[in-house]
Amino acid sequence: MIRQPISPITKIVLGLASVACLIAAYAWLSHRQHQINPKDSTIPNLSQFSDGWERLTRVPAKSEAEGWSSYRECWLWEDLGATYGRLFLGLASGVILSLVVGLAMGCFTPIEAFFVPPLSFFAKIPPTAMLAVYFVIFGTDIELFVALIALGIFPTLAQAIYQAAKKDVSSHAIDKAYTLGASHAEVIWNVIFRQILPRIIENIRLQIGPAMVFLIAAEWLLTDVGFGYRLRIQSRLLNMNVVYIYLVILGVTGYLFDWLLSLARRKLSPWFGE
Amino acid sequence: MKNYACYLLSALLCCQLVACNKTNIDTSTTGTGGASQEVSSFSLAWSEYPSWSVFGVADENGLVDKDEGKLGSIEKKWGVDIVLKEADYDTCLTLYGTGTVDAVCMTNMDSLAPSLGRDSVAILPTSTSDGADACVAVGTEGVEQLAGKTSYGLEMSVSQYMFERNLEILGKSVDDYPFSNMDPGAAANAMQTGQEKIGSIVVWNPFVLDTLRKRDGSKVMFDSTSIPGEIIDMVVVGKDSLAKDGGKAFACAVIETFYEVNRLLADPETHDETLIALGAKFSNLPLEDMEIVVQQTRFYKSADEALGLYEAETFQNEIMPKVVKFCVDHGIVETEPAVGYGDPEAQLNFDVSYINEIQESAMPAE
Repeated sequence: MIRQPISPITKIVLGLASVACLIAAYAWLSHRQHQINPKDSTIPNLSQFSDGWERLTRVPAKSEAEGWSSYRECWLWEDLGATYGRLFLGLASGVILSLVVGLAMGCFTPIEAFFVPPLSFFAKIPPTAMLAVYFVIFGTDIELFVALIALGIFPTLAQAIYQAAKKDVSSHAIDKAYTLGASHAEVIWNVIFRQILPRIIENIRLQIGPAMVFLIAAEWLLTDVGFGYRLRIQSRLLNMNVVYIYLVILGVTGYLFDWLLSLARRKLSPWFGE
Repeated sequence: MKNYACYLLSALLCCQLVACNKTNIDTSTTGTGGASQEVSSFSLAWSEYPSWSVFGVADENGLVDKDEGKLGSIEKKWGVDIVLKEADYDTCLTLYGTGTVDAVCMTNMDSLAPSLGRDSVAILPTSTSDGADACVAVGTEGVEQLAGKTSYGLEMSVSQYMFERNLEILGKSVDDYPFSNMDPGAAANAMQTGQEKIGSIVVWNPFVLDTLRKRDGSKVMFDSTSIPGEIIDMVVVGKDSLAKDGGKAFACAVIETFYEVNRLLADPETHDETLIALGAKFSNLPLEDMEIVVQQTRFYKSADEALGLYEAETFQNEIMPKVVKFCVDHGIVETEPAVGYGDPEAQLNFDVSYINEIQESAMPAE
């Protein structure tokens, strides 16, 4: 029957089964590829992956640090730091910008009229396609990555917040707050913002994917540390045992971030439900 | 009860997935088997570069037909179907390394890493960089002033090789000349738009000529004219593909196609149009700049020139070992591939037998 509920255990078992299927399918593919060519590096097997992991966590020979702190100089740690540093800075700037503009648009009609045309226009343009413009304005350092992510997610996110502020809050609630003597700021903060917060979090969650795409694309071209850089150089050298580990890390951290945001939404707006 | 139906359904789904994969393989093997009864078909991946765009021009001229199942004049002569796949350079390397294509256009340096996973045969040198890779700087008078200034170019590529080889020749220490990774197109773009930070770039053509033209005060610090015959553009075929039916005919047809277009280039009557066709997608450089491009990317335009390179003592005993050492030192390859010259056991084999074959079979009079 459609939408028939299942028990939690069944749910977990089915989830694990899908992961097992994926791993089995990969193992079979890798096995087949190695039978055709034992030296194949494109679909690495377990021992190749452990070589890749060793390479990722290898401390450079010239390192002077000792013990655990020396691992800060391995590829994996450096790339994680660089990429996620850029991602968080970019996301934070983009979210703040979208929040301010989106809320203002949803609340004040002149601002709405002013911002709607450019936002709907830029929402359809991939920012990576106009990288040259970003060069000229932001240079080639960290500013560029932050701007690319922030301005990349801004049009879509601001539009979503603006729509929510405009449509999801009933006029009754706003009128009631005014009657009780609330100021403009109080209405925006206590009535509108609180009510659309879960929607905002949901939309931020949906924008992490595009933000990551913009970042990797820029790192592909411009930098000497980070996931995009390492993926480019290593896939060029066909070191897929390194590449796939990075992709898994990207997937897992993405999943984790997603889960954290869902958790935040449940804690901040328990009334919203699942 | 319904729960069991659920399990059954998901189990069925899984089986179907596996089954689908299997049938795919079956059809693919029968597919190639079927084709070999008529004319076997081989794929060559190429990217836009002066001596590789030759294959694109050959398609336009009808010497070969890039599509599967259609034959150009040279393909008919050798009884083999050449399928041309144009892609970005890095994509070409991946296509070749994964075994998706039979042959690829790549440099001698970049062929080391794939040959560790797929035994490879370098059947034809197409050109060498003789000025096509350069270090271009702004606001710097000479190499002395460049010290301490970061140069931007693609790491682990011919750019970095050219950079370090020149410093070595000039007797400078690599440690005094920082090199940082950046995509060549992006680096050239950044310099042309006047980025303060990007004072020195290490790029290849068309970016070299384009930057010199568009950024006032930009100057070549040094280039690959000091190391001709070290950065070599080639056609490489997988040993597995050469062993297939018609593999040899494929190699010969590719070589003949290359020399045929070179003949068109040498002929004064067809020179200009061929050169324009070569440059059409490579760059937006005008004809006179394309003349410079083909000087800086010196073609091995005949079998004699190709043999002169691959059979030379210096190439086998000095240049290739130097390139291999560079690749090992920079982590481009973790282990050294066995490089051979006419040695069928080698992982990367520079084999002149196909060029010899072409040289012996005189061109048909048309």
